[in-house]
Amino acid sequence: MSGFVHGLSYGAVIVTVLMTVTAFSLWFERKLAARMQSRLGPTLVGPAGILQPIADVLKLLQKEDIVPLKADAVLFNLAPPVAVVCAIGVAAAVPFSPTVVAADLDVGVLYVLAIGAVTVLPVFTAGWASNNKLALLGGMRAVAQSVSYEVPLVLAALVPVILAGSMRIGAIVQFQSDHHWFVAWPFFLGIPAFVIFVLAMLAEANRIPFDIPEAESELVAGVTTEYTGMKFALFYMAEYVHTLVASAVASALFLGGWDGGPFRPGLHWMVLKTLFLFAGLYWIRWTLLRFRSDQLMRLCWRYLVPSSIALVATAGVWVVFVG
Amino acid sequence: MGVKGHRTVDDTGNFEHPLYKVLFQIPGLTLAATALDHVLTWGMTNALWTFPMATSCCGIEFMASAASRVDIDRMGTIVRASPRQADVMVVAGTITVKMAPRVKKLWDQMPEPKWCIAMGSCAISGDFYRNLYSVVPGVDTFLPVDVYVPGCPPNPEALMHGFLRLQEKVRAMRQGAKVVGDPNPELLRVTKPSNPRLVDADRTAALDEAQVSSAETATDLEVAPPVSVPLEAVPAPFAASNATELDGVLADFGILPAGKQGPPLVPVERHLELARRLKGLGYRQLVSIVATHWLAGKGRGGNEAGEVEHHEVVYLLRTVGPGTRVATWAVRPLAGQPVPSLSEVYAGADWQEREQFDLLGVVFSGHPDLRRLMMAENYTGHPLRRDFAADTAAAPWR
Repeated sequence: MSGFVHGLSYGAVIVTVLMTVTAFSLWFERKLAARMQSRLGPTLVGPAGILQPIADVLKLLQKEDIVPLKADAVLFNLAPPVAVVCAIGVAAAVPFSPTVVAADLDVGVLYVLAIGAVTVLPVFTAGWASNNKLALLGGMRAVAQSVSYEVPLVLAALVPVILAGSMRIGAIVQFQSDHHWFVAWPFFLGIPAFVIFVLAMLAEANRIPFDIPEAESELVAGVTTEYTGMKFALFYMAEYVHTLVASAVASALFLGGWDGGPFRPGLHWMVLKTLFLFAGLYWIRWTLLRFRSDQLMRLCWRYLVPSSIALVATAGVWVVFVG
Repeated sequence: MGVKGHRTVDDTGNFEHPLYKVLFQIPGLTLAATALDHVLTWGMTNALWTFPMATSCCGIEFMASAASRVDIDRMGTIVRASPRQADVMVVAGTITVKMAPRVKKLWDQMPEPKWCIAMGSCAISGDFYRNLYSVVPGVDTFLPVDVYVPGCPPNPEALMHGFLRLQEKVRAMRQGAKVVGDPNPELLRVTKPSNPRLVDADRTAALDEAQVSSAETATDLEVAPPVSVPLEAVPAPFAASNATELDGVLADFGILPAGKQGPPLVPVERHLELARRLKGLGYRQLVSIVATHWLAGKGRGGNEAGEVEHHEVVYLLRTVGPGTRVATWAVRPLAGQPVPSLSEVYAGADWQEREQFDLLGVVFSGHPDLRRLMMAENYTGHPLRRDFAADTAAAPWR
């Protein structure tokens, strides 16, 4: 019972913090993007435009809620909240410190990957239910992309699982804390697995350079084309929460989680690493161009999948003969 | 407390909502509601997401205003590609009669509350395209425009100013002020009707009727089913393209070599046969089909054929390859008389004939798909006909 209360209270705190961070990460992203394009970004709404996300949300709350006449109203309304729930659900099994965790499951890695994979479902539901050809095309692309990138994502996540000998994320972080971070040693396993994990994670979250499901030059706004007001905002939020949580998972699996190297371990390390990775993803987003669909598939099936299989095999050999 | 001075009935009837008095007696509720309203207004005015309805050069200035020097993102304006997520439609550019229904549709797809900025002279009044048969004279003829940003095109600073004025307007409206719409700045200088053809002495009710009836030709026309005709066996491309043989063919059709009066005239009945013969001689490319329309008594160059209303359709062919030669001829169908379509001989004739039909009302018999090509499907009249005028009752978008 105390475990339930513990999980519930920490879960509530984690979700609240996540949502707040997500909201202000929007402001951060707009400022960063503006600076990268030698613009200023939001400046007029609050000091340095910091209140911009709040104004956006207040505005979106007041917008008319349109359900297209020929859309499937139930699915159309169901998709955005499901997307957010899936994205937040991943956060439940991510330990931010040995104690700050909603539920450190024995099959944490499996749970994280499974819930992360479900996020494609609301996206496709939205594309289907909108009864809009652009949204449907976006949904189809999202399914094709997410199902493909699920394979290297899972295989790359297997590498730390094999090295640490546990599927509990807390145990994986503890192993790194006791021995070494997986990006540091064995680096020939850790670094490629980390890179593959981050790439596949970007593709899962439909972020640039893998944002072909909502390529605005071809598909208007992809699956969100028909969504207005807060329902659109929920999709947007789901995308950002998903990216943020996935950054946290990557930090835990590869970057040693709450371990601070020579310094005292603690929650702040996990937060720092997550935000650092998150900001790095923004950097990628505003630097690179969008892949074409076939390039995306080629990258996945021809390069990422074989190399991640090789990594898993090597990790097995490493654990048996060396580790 | 506090009931007096508040409006508790609606403007039109004597209906009083039962909760009004009760709600106003709750201490602090009006204060909270006012404060909340200020907060919501602040949110609404500071996140004006934009849908760019950019069709021409104003669109370039619009892009510039989103780029580094002006950066409308400073005031929280994001450009969204989907009208569903936009608050402001910026109409930047000339809107044609064909485009206007699409603009209206996109406007209708935007969720309330929504606003419209007319950017640039064309969106405001049509500017010097105003009297053109294909241009809508200002988007305020079919959209409720909130802010006009004059200029041709307005520079990005002007657009930014337009956004700031829109913010002011929204703020005032949310506070219950009655905001009088901007006067259309272009119309202050233009007196309606602006089209000089309206005072044309030649303009009669009969001409208006002709304009409408010629449009009915377009809608009532029976379109022949598409036919696929295999290309005829054609001799070597330029083997036979010598002057004597061509002259022989033309003489066959009673045509003398091209004179000063323009291209030689061919009877409408023999025109398709001539095209076939010429293609066999190596004239494999149909360069152009150009038609003109003549009212009764106004023929070309004092030609006696100008006694009755007619079209004149000029065809231009050429051989392909070295030593290119051209062949040209004209047919002169009377009003409503169909011209045999060349589309079964030259595939390229398809769209060219559609264009001539669309703009001049020349009817081509045997054309696989004789629809309008450039003007909107429901356009009234054929704009290059002599009896056409844009500023009449026959052009309802005016």
